[in-house]
Amino acid sequence: MVENNEMELSEAEAEQYDRQIRLWGLESQKRLRASKVLVIGLSGLGAEIAKNIILSGVKSVCLLDNEKLRETDQYSQFLAPPDKIGENRAEASLLRARALNPMVDVTSEKKAVDDLPDNFFTEFDIVCATGLKQEQLERINNACRDCNKKFLCGDVWGMFGYMFTDLVDHEYSEEIVQHKAVKRGPDDSDKNARETVTITVKRRAIYVPLQNALSADWSKPELRSRLRRGDPSYFVMKILLRFRDEYNRNPDPAKRKADTEIIFKMRNELVKELNLPAGFVSDAILTDVFGIVSGAAAVMGGVIGQEIVKAVSQREPPHNNMFFFNPVKCVGFVELYGQ
Amino acid sequence: MVARVAGVFDEKLTEAIANSKVLVVGAGGIGCEILKNLVLTGFPNIEIIDLDTIDVSNLNRQFLFHKEHVGKSKAQVAKDSALSFNPNVNIVAHHDSVISNEYGVSYFKKFNIVMNALDNRVARNHVNRMCLAADVPLVETGTAGYAGQVELIKKGLTQCYECLPKAPQKSFPGCTIRNTPSEPIHCIVWAKHLFNQLFGEEDPDQNVSPDTADPEAAGDAGASALNAKESETGNVDRKSTRMWAAETNYDPEKLFSKLFGDDIRYLLSMENLWKKRRPPTPLVWDNLPGKDDSPAKHSGLPDQRVWSVSECAQIFATSCKALEADLKSRPDGDHLVWDKDEKSAMDFVTACANVRAYIFNIPLKSRFEIKSMAGNIIPAIATANAIVAGLAVLRAQNILKGNIEDCTSVYLRPKVNHRGQLFVPEKTLTTPNPKCFVCAPKAEVALACNLKQLTLKDLNTALKEGLNMQAPDAAVEGKGLVVLSSEPGETDHNNHKTLEQIGLNDGCALLVDDFLQNFEVRVRLQQEDDEKSWRLVTDMDTPMPEPKEDKPTNGANGSEPKPGPSRPKDDSDSDMEIIEEDEGVETTKPPKRRRIEVSDDIVELC
Repeated sequence: MVENNEMELSEAEAEQYDRQIRLWGLESQKRLRASKVLVIGLSGLGAEIAKNIILSGVKSVCLLDNEKLRETDQYSQFLAPPDKIGENRAEASLLRARALNPMVDVTSEKKAVDDLPDNFFTEFDIVCATGLKQEQLERINNACRDCNKKFLCGDVWGMFGYMFTDLVDHEYSEEIVQHKAVKRGPDDSDKNARETVTITVKRRAIYVPLQNALSADWSKPELRSRLRRGDPSYFVMKILLRFRDEYNRNPDPAKRKADTEIIFKMRNELVKELNLPAGFVSDAILTDVFGIVSGAAAVMGGVIGQEIVKAVSQREPPHNNMFFFNPVKCVGFVELYGQ
Repeated sequence: MVARVAGVFDEKLTEAIANSKVLVVGAGGIGCEILKNLVLTGFPNIEIIDLDTIDVSNLNRQFLFHKEHVGKSKAQVAKDSALSFNPNVNIVAHHDSVISNEYGVSYFKKFNIVMNALDNRVARNHVNRMCLAADVPLVETGTAGYAGQVELIKKGLTQCYECLPKAPQKSFPGCTIRNTPSEPIHCIVWAKHLFNQLFGEEDPDQNVSPDTADPEAAGDAGASALNAKESETGNVDRKSTRMWAAETNYDPEKLFSKLFGDDIRYLLSMENLWKKRRPPTPLVWDNLPGKDDSPAKHSGLPDQRVWSVSECAQIFATSCKALEADLKSRPDGDHLVWDKDEKSAMDFVTACANVRAYIFNIPLKSRFEIKSMAGNIIPAIATANAIVAGLAVLRAQNILKGNIEDCTSVYLRPKVNHRGQLFVPEKTLTTPNPKCFVCAPKAEVALACNLKQLTLKDLNTALKEGLNMQAPDAAVEGKGLVVLSSEPGETDHNNHKTLEQIGLNDGCALLVDDFLQNFEVRVRLQQEDDEKSWRLVTDMDTPMPEPKEDKPTNGANGSEPKPGPSRPKDDSDSDMEIIEEDEGVETTKPPKRRRIEVSDDIVELC
C-alpha cells in the first residue's frame, strides 16, 4: 500500500492544494503525494482521468498507450493538440499533462500492453485501464492482485460509461458525525445540550477480481431480483465489451448505421442468453454509444479520478465494485457484482 | 465545420449544436470544465463572463489556468486555453461583471442556453431574472466539496432560482458573542468584530465589549460595581473602542489587558451568567500559559499547529502593530477591510480568537482551521466540478435537442444513497411556485415597516437588499407618482423624508421595477408601529431577507459583481442543494432539499 512518508508539505504545496486539503485533510494529501499511478489508454476518458489525478497532486503519473491520435479523439481528448493527429496518443499528451501541475512527475510509455511484462504494471500503486479488451483487463487485474496492488478500469462509449474497481483488501478511514451530550459548566442542568463531533473510524473492504464481476450469474435469484430496478446498464457494458472483443475496435461513428445493427443483434443474443425480459435493454440506450462524448468523459473521468484519490489516500469508502452512468435517465449508481 | 466528427451524435443534435449560441457565466472551477466540454463537443459560438482574476488556490481544479497565469483575467485565459483544444470555435471573453447595463435582456436573448457557474447568490439571482425576462433556458450549477447539483430553470416550466426561500444565514445571538461564547466560531466572530472595531469600518452591531443588557444577566448588581457608565443600549460606555485604542497608541499590552483582563473581570461580575456555565479566566499579559515553553522544534507548517496562548499574545502584538501602521498609512477616515488572505489580518483574528477561546475554556484551533471558518471557505475539488460540468453540458445537449421536459434536476451526492445512487435525478420537473415574488405572473410582496420612520433612502436599501434589485424605480400604484428613480439625482432630494411625509400610508401599493433586470413587482406597504427597520413578507412560508443580513466583508479577492449587497468573495463554486432522503424509504414525491450556501458574515440577533 501507499506509504505515508512523513515529509511535510511545502508552503507551495499547501497553497496550491489548499481547497482540497480543507476537504480531505493533510494526511490524505501526503498519501497522494507518495503514490504512483498508471493510466492506460489516452482516449478522452484517459485524458480526463489523467487531468484529475495530476491536479490532485500524486507523486507520478505514467501515460501508457500504443495507439495513434485520431480525428475522433478530438471530440474529447484535450491533452493532445489537434495538430498531433497521427502521433502516439500518450506522447502527444505529455506536454499539456505536465503543464497541469509541475509538481507531478508525468511520463509516457508507448509499448502495447501485451508487450509489457506483469512486473511493469505492479511497479505502480494503482493501475487504471481504459479501452482494453476483457482478456487484457483480466490479465493486468490479476497481476496487480498477486502483488496486492489496486486496479480500476472503465470506458465511455458515446454518452454511456462504466467503472470497475478491485482494491483487493482495502483499509480506509471514514469520518462519521456523532451527536454527544455536553456539560458546559458545573451546574449545567440542560439535558439537551448537544454538540456534534466528527470521529474517524477504520474500516476494511474486500474486493473481487474483474472476471468474477463480468461473469455474474444472472440465473441466481439474488441477481434476478435486481432486474426489478429496471436499469440495463450492466448489459450495455457487456454488449459493448463483446463488440470490442469481437471486432477489435469500438463502434465507429462513421459506420453509425451498420454498427447500430450489429449492436442490436448482439443485444438480442445477450437477452436470449441471460433470459432477460423483452425490451429490457432498450434501443434508446444503445443509440448514443459512438465515439466519446466530452460531457460523458468528464463525468466518468470525474468518478474514476475520485475513486483513485480515495483508494490511494485511504480515506472515505470507495465504490464496491461497479459504477454505471446511464445517460438516458442521467443516473449514476453503484452495484456489487461477482461476490 | 463544427461537429467535427459526423456520427457521434444523431443528425438532429448535430444540427442543433451547429446552430447554437451559449453563454457561460463564471470561469471558475465549473466554468473551466463547462467551457472545455462545449469547445470539444463543437459548440460553435460561446461567450464567457467573469470579473475575477486567477489565484494560486484555484490551480488545484481550474485546469485551464497555470501558475504563470496568476493575476490574469479568468475569462481571457480560459478562452485562450480552450481555443487550443479546438481553434474552430468562436469564443468571446468578457472580463466583467454580469451585473451591468452591457448585458441587458436583449443581450441574453441572443443565446439558446445560458449556463451558470457562479459562486454567489447575488449574481445567481440576477442571471435568474435576466433569463426569465429573456425567456432563455438557464442551466444552474454548483458544487461544495464532494457534492453538487445541476438544475434547469425555464420560465413557466420550472421553479426559478428564487422560487424557494433560501436557508437563512448562520447567526448567533449578540450576547453569546459578547458575553458567553461556547464554541470556537463564537470567538472567531468576536475577533472579526474586534478587527473592525479597531481597524475596519465601525459598526455598532459589532460591539465587542460586555453586553449588560443580556437578559440572562438581569438583576445583576455586580455589574455596576465596576462603576462603568452604562449607555441606554446596554453597552459599557467607553467612547469608541477605536478612539480608545488610538489614544493608547495601539499599545498591544494595554489593549490585551483591557480586552482579555478588564472586560473578562467585568463579565465575571455579571454573576447570573456563570450559574450554569464555567466562568471565564481573565489573563495577565506577563504571565501567560506557554510562556516558559522552550522554543519547540515545530515540524510542519505554522498554519497547521495550534499556537500556545503566549505565542498568540506575541502574534497579537505584532499583527496589531502591522495593522496600525497600515491604517496610519491611509488617508484620514479610511479603514481596513478584513481579508482572510491578508497575513496580518488573519494572524490578528487567529490570535484573538484563540486567546478568547482559552479564557472561556473552548478548544483552540490552528490558523488553518480558523481561516476556513472566518473566511467561509468552501472546499473544492477537480472531480466534483468535472462531474457537475459534464452533466450540465449533457443536459444542455438534451435541451437543444428539444427534450427540455426531460431535463430534471440532478444531484451529485457526497456518498451513494440507499439505492446505491451517486447521481440522483429528480423524477419530474419542479413546477414554478405560483407565489414566487420573482417569476409569478403577478409578483407581489409586502413591506412591513413603520411609515412614520422609514425614509425613502431606507426604502431604496430595502428594495436593493431585500429584493436584490440593482436599480429600482418605484411609482405609486394608481397615481403614477414616481417616488424613487434610478436616474441619479432625480429623487435624491426626498431621501431623508419618511414614507408618510411623501403621502404613502398603510395599504398603499408601489409598482417597483428594475429596468436592468426587466423585473417588476408590486410592493404593498404594511404599517407596523413596532418595526424598527423593515421586513419583507410574502406568502412563501419562510421569512424573506431582512436588513443587515448582508454585511460587506472582504472584497479583496472578489470574484463577483460589485453592485448590490456584497457577499464574502470566495472562489468556490458553492451554493448548492443536496437531496435529503429518508434512508430505506422509496419515495415518489420529489425529495426534500436543503440548500447549502456560502454563508455571509455572521449576523447577530439578540
